[in-house]
Amino acid sequence: MKRLLLIVLLAMAGTGWHSLHAGEARPLAADEATEQRLIAIASELRCLVCQNESLSGSNAELANDLRREIRGLIRDGRSDAEIMEFMVSRYGDFVRYRPPLKGSTLLLWFGPGLLFVTGLTSLVIYLRRRDRAIRNTPLTAAEQQRAEALLQDRDSGQRPS
Amino acid sequence: MNRFLWPLIGFIVLVVLLAVGLNLNPRDVPSPLVGKPAPNFSLSQLAAPEKKFSPQDMLGKVWLLNVWASWCVSCRQEHPVLVELAKKGTVPLVGLNYKEVRGDGGIDLDKVAPGSEQSMVIARASTWLRTHGNPYTLSVLDIDGRVGINYGVYGVPETYVIDKAGIIRMKHTGPISPDVFSGKILPLLAELSR
Amino acid sequence: MPWLVGTALVHSLAVTEKRGSFKNWTVLLAISAFSLSLLGTFLVRSGVLTSVHAFATDPRRGIFILLFLGTVIGSSLALFAWRAPRVGLGGRFGLLSRESLLLTNNVLLVVACASVLLGTLYPLLVDALGAGKLLVGPPYFDAVFVPLMLPAAFLIGVAPFARWKHASVGELARTLRWAFLAAALVGISTPFVYGQWKPLVALSLLLAAWIVLSALLNFLERVQSTRAGQSFSAAALRQPRSFFGMHLAHIGIAVFIVGVTMVGAYQAEKDVRMEVGDTVSVGNYTFRFNGVRPQQGPNYRALLGDIDLIKDGRVLRKMFPEKRFYVASAMPMTEAAIDSGLLGDVYVSLGEPIDKARPDAAWAVRVYHKPFVDWIWGGCVLMAFGGLLAISDRRYRIKARAGSPASSAAASLVQNA
Repeated sequence: MKRLLLIVLLAMAGTGWHSLHAGEARPLAADEATEQRLIAIASELRCLVCQNESLSGSNAELANDLRREIRGLIRDGRSDAEIMEFMVSRYGDFVRYRPPLKGSTLLLWFGPGLLFVTGLTSLVIYLRRRDRAIRNTPLTAAEQQRAEALLQDRDSGQRPS
Repeated sequence: MNRFLWPLIGFIVLVVLLAVGLNLNPRDVPSPLVGKPAPNFSLSQLAAPEKKFSPQDMLGKVWLLNVWASWCVSCRQEHPVLVELAKKGTVPLVGLNYKEVRGDGGIDLDKVAPGSEQSMVIARASTWLRTHGNPYTLSVLDIDGRVGINYGVYGVPETYVIDKAGIIRMKHTGPISPDVFSGKILPLLAELSR
Repeated sequence: MPWLVGTALVHSLAVTEKRGSFKNWTVLLAISAFSLSLLGTFLVRSGVLTSVHAFATDPRRGIFILLFLGTVIGSSLALFAWRAPRVGLGGRFGLLSRESLLLTNNVLLVVACASVLLGTLYPLLVDALGAGKLLVGPPYFDAVFVPLMLPAAFLIGVAPFARWKHASVGELARTLRWAFLAAALVGISTPFVYGQWKPLVALSLLLAAWIVLSALLNFLERVQSTRAGQSFSAAALRQPRSFFGMHLAHIGIAVFIVGVTMVGAYQAEKDVRMEVGDTVSVGNYTFRFNGVRPQQGPNYRALLGDIDLIKDGRVLRKMFPEKRFYVASAMPMTEAAIDSGLLGDVYVSLGEPIDKARPDAAWAVRVYHKPFVDWIWGGCVLMAFGGLLAISDRRYRIKARAGSPASSAAASLVQNA
């Protein structure tokens, strides 16, 4: 009886051991909070090697080094603005992934909006002018005759396409 | 004027822009450090690791800082130019040996014993200089690349021209071709040495 | 860019063909569409721009392509400038009509294309003017393109209901109001199902639902109004192929919008360390890591990860991400394991073993859930099918055309213009 109990207990412990051991996988980064901030900051920075990728997505050597630097700065308690300043003072405005809004990029950021407004306004003006132009252009005598011929043609034959 | 000419005019402007663009290099990142003091550091020297070097040691002299590594293929391209510069003896050339072991794609850092990285760096760098010639007055070891980051290094080779007051006056990315050397660097050195 | 202008061209051609209007617009769009593909060739081969798409940096090749481009496009535009003034204006139409809505659509597409062109060439412009260096990437294009396309998406639903020459706002509103309300309901409520409610997601889903519902409504109305005593299905099949093509292509756009919106808003990834038996959850899926075993390939050695894909407690299938070491290369290649489904994809990829010396123990694993990502491709396939259907319409086959006297008279009219 005792032996049976021992076996049952061991069996239970065995399954319990398995579920204790195989749990929810731990995040790879040692510190989730730092990692989240790193990803947020790195997404706004450019990888200088593969210049069209963001720093958070790149696997280049330099990208790894820079991310390590930034992790260190985050742990030192620097703010996002200070970290951005750190990078820009060493690599220039170029390292910002989103083109900054300043004098030289005004046309870039406001251009599309301007084009949109200009496009639609010109369209309306053009349509109005066109309508007036058509209304004010009467048919010449030759054109009148051709129109009549076409209309007779139609009435005698099939429907126009 | 015929308003249907506008598309053609716009196109001509575009072609001019593209033609100008063909002569530019889009990958070149201008350095914000030009005109600013060279960032300070204190690194071991290659020839005598117990001794340190810092940019302050060069105050009062015009000098060049060249970022290199033995695994860097383009460095071999510019090496003859550097050797010639050293022969002329115009200005001291300091080498910044950048991530000699870590930057080499064929080396797995985890397989390197923790204490032995520096000796590996010294061995590799010294061998390379012996084989290809040593144009450097001295070389310093930036083992993990952190000094490189402070200098805005994003590729190898890169060269900095630093004046007597320790201010960076020019940064050249990529190998120095003979044209760049005689056209840009020599004149600048002459001007700064006056 | 050529695709955007090409779409404008397709719509402009529809009007030129039916109403004889917009001839100049159509010719200019045709020239632009081809010119933009030549421009694209130049941009990726000349090294003028930095891009993941640029694969050659050869200024000499660039000069040749630029000369070619200049000759072809320059002469086309010169010809256009010379002959366009002689082309007639075409028929009248009101400020609100199918013609004007199509023209608005064209303007929106061209503005979108111009914005993309602006962003693409801006680095070059700034560099050429000596104003520094910058690169324009995804954050810019996303911020600029989406707001421009939203009104166009709205028009997709309205235009098929607008009459030629003259349409009335009141009539359109009356026909479409229930469709709009239903779309708003779908759009606003669906994000809740997926998690966080985001306004842009709701708006995009509203527009996608709007496109689908208005297409269905248009189809029903058209069949109903041309029925003349036949059965519904007989009347339906009598509609020209171009009609089906139009709606299929528009629905393709809606499907595309859903794919892009859902993936962008709700995709999730997790980077975890997994021991044998560990699980991780992303979306509604759970992944269980069963270890890694070696495998020999034809020209590589691989480490094969064994992962169970679990949903609602059931093991759906196994997934086998690989880490391959090719004989010819020093760098390992990662092969992700992908499970594709109608409602989303899950990817699993192996990172590195936590302890490099022990590949049999814990590994760094990355798992992704991308909802509706295949709808992006599906939408494009639908658009392509729609286009094919429209092209195969009877009225584009020349023999059918040559038969009718009305069309030959029209041809002579155009000749003498």
